[in-house]
Amino acid sequence: MNGVLKAAAAALVPWLVLVGLWEFGAATGSLATTLFPPPSSFVKFAIENDFRVGFGSEAMTVPAAIIASSFRVVAGLAIGFVAAVLTGILVSMSRWLSIALLPIVRGLAPIAPIAWIPIGIVIFGVGNPTAIFVVFTGVYFLLTLSTVAAVQSVDERLVKTARTYGASPRQVWTHVIFPAVLPQVFTMLRINFFAAWMAVLAAEMVGLKNGVGMIVILGREMFNPNLIMLGICIIGVTGYAVDALLLFIQRKILWWKTAE
Amino acid sequence: MSSLEIDAVRKVWPGARGLETTAIEDASLRVSSGEFVAILGPSGCGKSTLLELCAGLEPLSGGRILIDGEPVTGPNPKVVMVFQEHSLFPWLTVEDNVIFGLRMKGMGIDERWRRGREVLERVRLVKFAKHYPHQLSGGMRQRVAIARALVGQPEFILMDEPFAALDFQTRVLMQQFLLEIWSGFQSTILFVTHQIDEAVLLADRVVVMSAAPGRVLEDVKIDLPRPRSMTDPAFNDYRMRLTAHMEREVMRAAEFQ
Repeated sequence: MNGVLKAAAAALVPWLVLVGLWEFGAATGSLATTLFPPPSSFVKFAIENDFRVGFGSEAMTVPAAIIASSFRVVAGLAIGFVAAVLTGILVSMSRWLSIALLPIVRGLAPIAPIAWIPIGIVIFGVGNPTAIFVVFTGVYFLLTLSTVAAVQSVDERLVKTARTYGASPRQVWTHVIFPAVLPQVFTMLRINFFAAWMAVLAAEMVGLKNGVGMIVILGREMFNPNLIMLGICIIGVTGYAVDALLLFIQRKILWWKTAE
Repeated sequence: MSSLEIDAVRKVWPGARGLETTAIEDASLRVSSGEFVAILGPSGCGKSTLLELCAGLEPLSGGRILIDGEPVTGPNPKVVMVFQEHSLFPWLTVEDNVIFGLRMKGMGIDERWRRGREVLERVRLVKFAKHYPHQLSGGMRQRVAIARALVGQPEFILMDEPFAALDFQTRVLMQQFLLEIWSGFQSTILFVTHQIDEAVLLADRVVVMSAAPGRVLEDVKIDLPRPRSMTDPAFNDYRMRLTAHMEREVMRAAEFQ
């Protein structure tokens, strides 16, 4: 636990320095506070407004916005991961499925998740399902391809060992290949998390009208730099926290690839 | 009485653009119950392939392999294989690795657990039952691999250079350990190695294979009482005889490349 605290402190120091310089620049007038209001300004603003932003039907609290956005990205990642691993394994099991599906997956993988936003809104309307759908499309195709690649790189000795110990072809898939590919695919999930996170924010900005992405847009509409900067900082901190959660899962639950 | 009969076996690997490689050509060998047979040969002589054929992991290109008179067509519950390092499942504990085969066969959990404990006691790893492979030393990992092989009481254990990746000291300890444990089980062992000392130290018989394509060149009975010592003059005679063979084969293999 001591090590974790030390690591957290070490990560915090550069930030404290940056905030110090920021405050110093703002206080001495060498930084345009209309564009870059310092934390002392936008945090004060948030406290004064009781952590509430927006008016009428668009009003929301900051914690609710953070929870809404995090839920969307985590749900989209989870569904995308499970679906991609299952698809990748099924495709790898059958030559015909791979011939039929892989070219399509390969064609859809390079499409930026943001491009799916209009389609998501048409299909699911304005709400959580659209945001989850956008995250899903952002990771599903890529992770399916990396599952297929991971299956091909499973150590053949593990497969042979399982077979000599009486594992049926199906048991080789469920007891050897499935656990063997999980860490590698999860690493890809982490790499693609940032793209998925950006997609959620974009979806919130253009259509969903809530979540942390909306805070920035509200700030723009109201010409309120405090709100914009507050939104940006929350996006950064929340993204960092979700990434830390993914890293924790990788280290505690899916550790075996990294442990070799 | 169990028996393993390798009869005029041939294995050809298909290659790109129809280029085939003959890994094994006309190899014949009989192993009888309770024997410890070492297969010695230079790298790339097809000795590992021969083991995989015996384990039913690869189809034959010619000839046949009989286990207790039955031709091998796929993995056989009477036969298990121990590979070099890294064949333990990294996501399973020592205990779960050991009972993997029992689980695949659908044995009940209590029986599985009891047998696993029993074998772990014999290989003196009970304390490490809940550890994961990456927490163990190379030698301990191979002890787990051997425990996993023994737990199903197989008739044949095929070992593919199991100690090749270990340092000298660990290897010597593991060789002693293997002999000790083998005397308590009735399994027949087919042990592939490229180290002459290891073959003479462990085996009842040493079979020398030629360089590619692999053939059985000589079958030497090691007539020394156990425990054997590498400093024994008689041990040295066997070593010299096998070294001469190996030298010739290594040179021949080099010419092929």
